[in-house]
Amino acid sequence: MTLKEKINSDRFIVCGEIGPPQSCDGDLIRKKSQYFKGIVDAVNITDNQTAMPRLSSIASAKILLEEGVEPIMQMTCRDRNRLAIQSDLLGAAALGIRNVLCLTGDYQKFGDNPEAKGVYDLDSIQLISTVAKMNDGYLLSGQKMKKAPDFLIGAAANPFAMPLEMRLIRLYKKVQAGAHFIQTQPVFDMELFMRWMERVVEMGLHEKVAILAGVMPVKSVKTLLSMQANVPGVKINDEYIHRMEAAPDPKTEGVRIAVEIIQTLKTIKGIRGIHLMPVLWESIIPTVVKEAGLCNQN
Amino acid sequence: MQSDLTTLDKPPISPRERKLSRFLLFFEDIIKVPLFRCQHCGECILSSTGFVCSQRCPKRLRNGPCGGTGADGSCEVYPERKCVWYRIYLRSKFFCRLSLLYKINKIHNWNLEHTSAWLNVFKKRIDAPMIFVRNDKDIVKDMIVDDTQRKN
Repeated sequence: MTLKEKINSDRFIVCGEIGPPQSCDGDLIRKKSQYFKGIVDAVNITDNQTAMPRLSSIASAKILLEEGVEPIMQMTCRDRNRLAIQSDLLGAAALGIRNVLCLTGDYQKFGDNPEAKGVYDLDSIQLISTVAKMNDGYLLSGQKMKKAPDFLIGAAANPFAMPLEMRLIRLYKKVQAGAHFIQTQPVFDMELFMRWMERVVEMGLHEKVAILAGVMPVKSVKTLLSMQANVPGVKINDEYIHRMEAAPDPKTEGVRIAVEIIQTLKTIKGIRGIHLMPVLWESIIPTVVKEAGLCNQN
Repeated sequence: MQSDLTTLDKPPISPRERKLSRFLLFFEDIIKVPLFRCQHCGECILSSTGFVCSQRCPKRLRNGPCGGTGADGSCEVYPERKCVWYRIYLRSKFFCRLSLLYKINKIHNWNLEHTSAWLNVFKKRIDAPMIFVRNDKDIVKDMIVDDTQRKN
């Protein structure tokens, strides 16, 4: 069953995430993929995350396919103009990659090449429209393709940045442009998330697009604090920071918090699944999925 | 929806028109640079962005803010600045023009960079500016309800 069929059915979806290394070590991806195999429905492959050059997302996605894990290839607008984006998408489709997540991309200033030129020829919404157009069988120029790709289009949403209404407008535009599923930033503030979700349901967007809420298991309180300080648009409830500080074994507490968040998310109306983001802690995924009771569905 | 994703280059800009464009740009600049800090994209969407130039965004986004806006509405790249799209939102709300933010703006045509947007409007390369918006809230409501019905 592919991710597309799962999204069209009523199942609760679980996605994972792997960040490719800053080297040509394909075996690392093969090793990490074993933590996800048979446990999650699909795995995101990040595209030069934190604006640093890494093993390309297309190549990593192909490695995952060989390992029998369904990849979701991320595609950012930071590094490619419209020519490169279209050619990369066609190449990915030819390799058998069926899911693409359209992002604008981290600004190059935050990476290890801050003097680089950012491209941003398209933005994420225009990228979604482009992929949708290619699905219809046309290139951006209007040229008809002999064989059209069939991508499942994903997009990101940030429920925690202000102002809320602007976020909803942007989500509306993404759905309008043709997104099939939405992955959100990691949820560490349930109240804000519920408020966002209420408005999404009010607008009727949850019926047109599958919303997958982000969940991030954390290893230590340091990770939480550095996220709060360095990752723009992430809001963390103080309660979690206190709990992580007080816990004798922060790793178990991190898992417990993640499981609690998943249990609450499952009860919220309109949530179709979760997206697990274990930054550099992929080995914990089987435990989190098992403890949250999502294991036996695959 | 997807047929008008890109701005058409029609009619193509002739060398003679480029001269006229440069002449007009002089007057356009006198107004747009001091008032809006115009970035000369030649594809002006000022009227749909609450009269704040969206091209001042470091990523030059034309369709809303990226995910990095801070809690106080600051830009992730230059934290001392306000996010341009945060200002666009506040200004659009103030002028009751929020319905215009729901429109997807086309992919930028780089051939129009440093040409006169006024001339491009006259030549019908780009959409004419929306000066007046009436019943902004109703338009937004209708748009969202329309879509829900279309789905069912």
